[in-house]
Amino acid sequence: MILPSFEYKKAQTIDEALELYKKYNGEAFYLAGGTDLIPLLKHRLFNPKAVIDLKGIEELKTIKRKRGNLLVGPNVTLYELKENPEVKENLPCLFESLNATSCETLQMRGTIGGNIMQNTRCLQYNKSLEWRTARGFCYKMGGKTCNVVLNARSCFSNYCGDNAPALMTVDSKVRLAGPQGERTLKLEKLFSGDGKDPFNIKPGEFITEITIPLKETKGAYEKLAVRGSIDYPLVGVAVTVMDEVAKVGVTGIGPSPRLYEIEKINKKEIDKIAGKAYEDAKPVVNAVLTPAYRKKMVGVLIRRVFARIEKGGSR
Amino acid sequence: MKTVKVTLNVNNEKVKLQVKPYETLLETLRERLSLTGAKEACSLGSCGSCTVLVNGTPMRSCLILTPEVDGASITTIEGLREGDRLHPLQEAFMEKGAVQCGFCTSGMIMTAKGLLDRNKKPTKAEIIKTISSNICRCTGYKKIVEAVEEASKKII
Ligand SMILES: Cc1cc2nc3c(=O)[nH]c(=O)nc-3n(C[C@H](O)[C@H](O)[C@H](O)COP(=O)(O)OP(=O)(O)OC[C@H]3O[C@@H](n4cnc5c(N)ncnc54)[C@H](O)[C@@H]3O)c2cc1C
Ligand code: SF4
Repeated sequence: MILPSFEYKKAQTIDEALELYKKYNGEAFYLAGGTDLIPLLKHRLFNPKAVIDLKGIEELKTIKRKRGNLLVGPNVTLYELKENPEVKENLPCLFESLNATSCETLQMRGTIGGNIMQNTRCLQYNKSLEWRTARGFCYKMGGKTCNVVLNARSCFSNYCGDNAPALMTVDSKVRLAGPQGERTLKLEKLFSGDGKDPFNIKPGEFITEITIPLKETKGAYEKLAVRGSIDYPLVGVAVTVMDEVAKVGVTGIGPSPRLYEIEKINKKEIDKIAGKAYEDAKPVVNAVLTPAYRKKMVGVLIRRVFARIEKGGSR
Repeated sequence: MKTVKVTLNVNNEKVKLQVKPYETLLETLRERLSLTGAKEACSLGSCGSCTVLVNGTPMRSCLILTPEVDGASITTIEGLREGDRLHPLQEAFMEKGAVQCGFCTSGMIMTAKGLLDRNKKPTKAEIIKTISSNICRCTGYKKIVEAVEEASKKII
């Protein structure tokens, strides 16, 4: 499959990346590992004038420990983060979600920044231009209505990142650089809930750092997928227990990951959150398993993760 | 559109090329350098048949733009043998009959090479985990796993 034509630019500094974005009047994409972006471009879902490679920016590639936090550059690969001793020891939920992402080879190329920022997915959307032209463009592609929920002027595509929910359960923050300066957000605030435009990010902004508070935590990640390897989550549930409080992140079902909190962990509270997450999940016919089954699995996976944490994480 | 100048070290040979800015490494290897060992199957990163080593790390060459790897060392299946001797992985794949149609083979071997380079004596579970990065639609993986186990015994 041939790519559409675009220019390739490599930035050496954050300022240079922002300059390049301005030079192309915003008709450019930032590029990290390309494992999400390149397939989208091959499918002609976007036709940028340029891609701006961020991999030349040294400060985006490091993992540092500072004042009780792990500061992770967005260009750190999923594999490198997974192999980090702090992650292995203190962040079991994140370790499991990284380990469950795609496959080893893709983990060695895909980055954590690109993973957080991966586009939402839908069986009608991630298709070739020819397929989509024959079917007629849906709302997310610029058409009038959704092709799954007929006549809806809204998009129900799924956010299928495995790691954002795990990062949310450990109170991670992201720092963004943009044409108007820097800002820091709680990770959950990065998601808009709108399938057409899933991120609360201003034109030209990009992630420059992910801050993860380092505390001793218990946790686990469970993922519903058809294959054991190389498969996006059809539902993913991340749970971290920290200072007796549990945070629950749900991904793979709907346009944004969702976060819940349990202040007192007992069966009744777990059932209550499992019920609430089940109610909040509004799947439609746009993934490879039926909506009813995926919806049911939200509650099942939440209970399963807690059962595993109780057993010390083992299966 | 302006082309981009790149220098690659492909199978220990330095090559200077003018490539399209949107050209994939797989296209460069196959179409400019006639190294057709890396295969194009899904072209979307799902199958792994285009896997080559970039500075020693296995990567999907269909998802990489050639300008991104300017200056890098690339190893393809064609660069594995030493002189007249095939690499132990290549020999083991033949001995164990770990090939049927052959389309996934070079990607499988390059992925396994990445594993044996970082872990000389992997367990069977580790081999299965690594190899599951690649899709084979005929042998059912059993013989492929056996071949990697066999090769790991020969590598000192
Ligand atoms: C076959 C296959 C299977 C996959 N399976 C999974 C899976 O199971 N789970 C999963 O979570 N993912 C999966 N992925 C998706 C992808 O591999 C990962 O999300 C990966 O981590 C993306 O990172 P990247 O560096 O390759 O991103 P890129 O493709 O480089 O970028 C992705 C997006 O993020 C933007 N971006 C990149 N860096 C930044 C930054 N610093 N700030 C702001 N925006 C940025 C880009 O502009 C682009 O829009 C799969 C992909 C493939 C091809
Ligand atoms: S949910 Fe509807 S609008 Fe969104 S990508 Fe799918 S078909 Fe398009």
